[in-house]
Amino acid sequence: MGHFTHRTSSRYGFRYGLRYGVGYGGVRFILTLGFGGLLVLMGMGYLQTERLMTQIQDRSRSIERRFLERSKTLNEIRSALYLSGTVFRDYVLDQDTGRSETQLRRLDQIRREMDRHLDEYDSGIAGGNNEAFDRLKAEIEGYWKLLSPALSWTAEHRKHDGYQFLRDQVFTRRTSVLDLANQVSSLNERQLVVGQGEVTNLFSGFRRRVRLTLLGAVGLGLCLALLAGWRILQLEREAAERHAQTEHARSELRDLSARLVEVQEAERRSISRELHDEVGQSLSAVLIEVANLGAVLPPETRLLVQPHVDSIKALTEASMGTIRNLSLLLRPSMLDDLGLLPALEWQAREVSRRTELEVRIVDRGILTSLPEPYKTCIFRVVQEALHNAERHANAKSITVTLGQQEDRLHLTIQDDGRGFDPDRHKGLGLLGMEERTTTLGGSFNVASHPGQGTVLSISLPRAPEEAS
Amino acid sequence: MADIRIILADDHIVIRSGLRLVLEREPGFIVVGEAADGKEAIQLAQDLCPGVAVLDVAMPNLNGIEAARQITAASPDTAVVMLSMHSDESYVLRALNAGARGYLLKDSPEADLIAAIKAVFDGKAYFSPAISRVLVDDYVRQLRKRGLEDSYELLTAREREILQLLAEGKSNKELAGRLNLSIYTVETHRSNLMEKLNLHGIPELILYAVRKGIIS
Repeated sequence: MGHFTHRTSSRYGFRYGLRYGVGYGGVRFILTLGFGGLLVLMGMGYLQTERLMTQIQDRSRSIERRFLERSKTLNEIRSALYLSGTVFRDYVLDQDTGRSETQLRRLDQIRREMDRHLDEYDSGIAGGNNEAFDRLKAEIEGYWKLLSPALSWTAEHRKHDGYQFLRDQVFTRRTSVLDLANQVSSLNERQLVVGQGEVTNLFSGFRRRVRLTLLGAVGLGLCLALLAGWRILQLEREAAERHAQTEHARSELRDLSARLVEVQEAERRSISRELHDEVGQSLSAVLIEVANLGAVLPPETRLLVQPHVDSIKALTEASMGTIRNLSLLLRPSMLDDLGLLPALEWQAREVSRRTELEVRIVDRGILTSLPEPYKTCIFRVVQEALHNAERHANAKSITVTLGQQEDRLHLTIQDDGRGFDPDRHKGLGLLGMEERTTTLGGSFNVASHPGQGTVLSISLPRAPEEAS
Repeated sequence: MADIRIILADDHIVIRSGLRLVLEREPGFIVVGEAADGKEAIQLAQDLCPGVAVLDVAMPNLNGIEAARQITAASPDTAVVMLSMHSDESYVLRALNAGARGYLLKDSPEADLIAAIKAVFDGKAYFSPAISRVLVDDYVRQLRKRGLEDSYELLTAREREILQLLAEGKSNKELAGRLNLSIYTVETHRSNLMEKLNLHGIPELILYAVRKGIIS
């Protein structure tokens, strides 16, 4: 038992302060920052996605709308061209002046309409097919120019040259215009494809950004998880270590306390023995010598001295009584001389003599030669229990039962006192009993309820029989 | 009357010589030997065959109780008086079980020692008055507390007579002669009364008799 409990525990305390005291704030700050960052990253990612999605949607809608508008305009130009051809043919072939006036007006109207469509198309144009459209425009211009001299022709002139002009010039021209229009239309379609390509690009850019954001979030999350995991492991290890320290300190404390009890008991025994054997014997020698003194006194002095001799005897007897009681109080000699059961029975008689409490010792076959620590433990526990029953429980009777099964000793102490709540009031006496019991590897149990008495149950692992 | 030959055993020489003085003042008492421990006492008893051995309970080498057991076993004619510091009945019972018939506290007046030696030499039991008093008081208190009937009331007149004679140290044979009964009848009475009083053996019977005040 050479441990220095105090020094050991204070050394551990110092180490903890040094190792873990500083790190706490830093790690907590990093974790807070990390989790905050992760949340911000996720929020930002969401907002960005929302914005990009809207953008892409708008873009693809506008591309589609423009395509449809242009197609429509182109179709109108085309149909106006057909119409103009038909009206012009009618104009050329018709001999009636009145009707030809109407057809001229109609042609003029168609031309204006066509110009308007061309302007419309022109304004909606962007990049790419400018050149093709300009050619179309020039061709249409040329077409109209081709027509314009014939508009002022007389009926005669029309009748004469009309059909040939129509067939050789106008239809040829119209066909090439239509070809151009088709070309523009296909360009327009190509432009749609280009637009769609743009949308796709936008999408893939968006995807890249989303991927980046996600990757960042996952990376940060992973870092955080690693950091948190490391921290948790560290805390766990720390807790386990601390638990072990506490356990160690506790067991040392238990050892120390057991040792104290042991030393106290040895001390009591030696003082008790000393008082009993040395002081007691000397006093009894004094008593005998005083008696002899009285006997050898000559008759003439006897009357004078006898009262003093008697007084010395009385004082000595009283002192012997005191010594005997003191010695029994310290440690009853029966425990060492006669064994556990006689000592318990003596204690029971003592309590019965002194108080109104009736004590019954029931022996169900306990070993007569228990090892010293067991005897002392059981005796002291019973002594304390009797003390409690007498002092606090106000009991009338108490029964102490001792028994032994294959590998365990059982001690039950039952009183009919007022009882108590063991969870709330556990005095030093009970703790002392429990400690004595657990030191020997036994179990200690208190069952009590206010008004229902108390039962103490103790079970000790069976001791090896003392070789005596 | 023949002289009573006595041996004294105590590890304290002052006590031994003091006791010797006390005893030698008494006519008819001869102290034939002194022993300082249990082993010596046994040897002395064997060599000298004294009528009475006065033994201290607490002695080195072999304690007084063990010495008493061996002395009474080896020489039944030697009666044993125990001197003890202990007044508790468990010590008394143990001394009786070991074969001692007298049990004295060391703070007893010297007159008790002389009375005890005479009593045990006559085959009777003797206890310090202080011990008898404690035994009787305890018994009465127990009866009162437990509210039990005194089992003594269950005994017949003949059984009570036998109880007293047994407690005084008489043998079955002596009883039979004195009461004019066969040994067989005496034994029947004896076992009946022991059963009624829940006693196991003569030492317990003697203690019971002291408690009841039948002997002192």
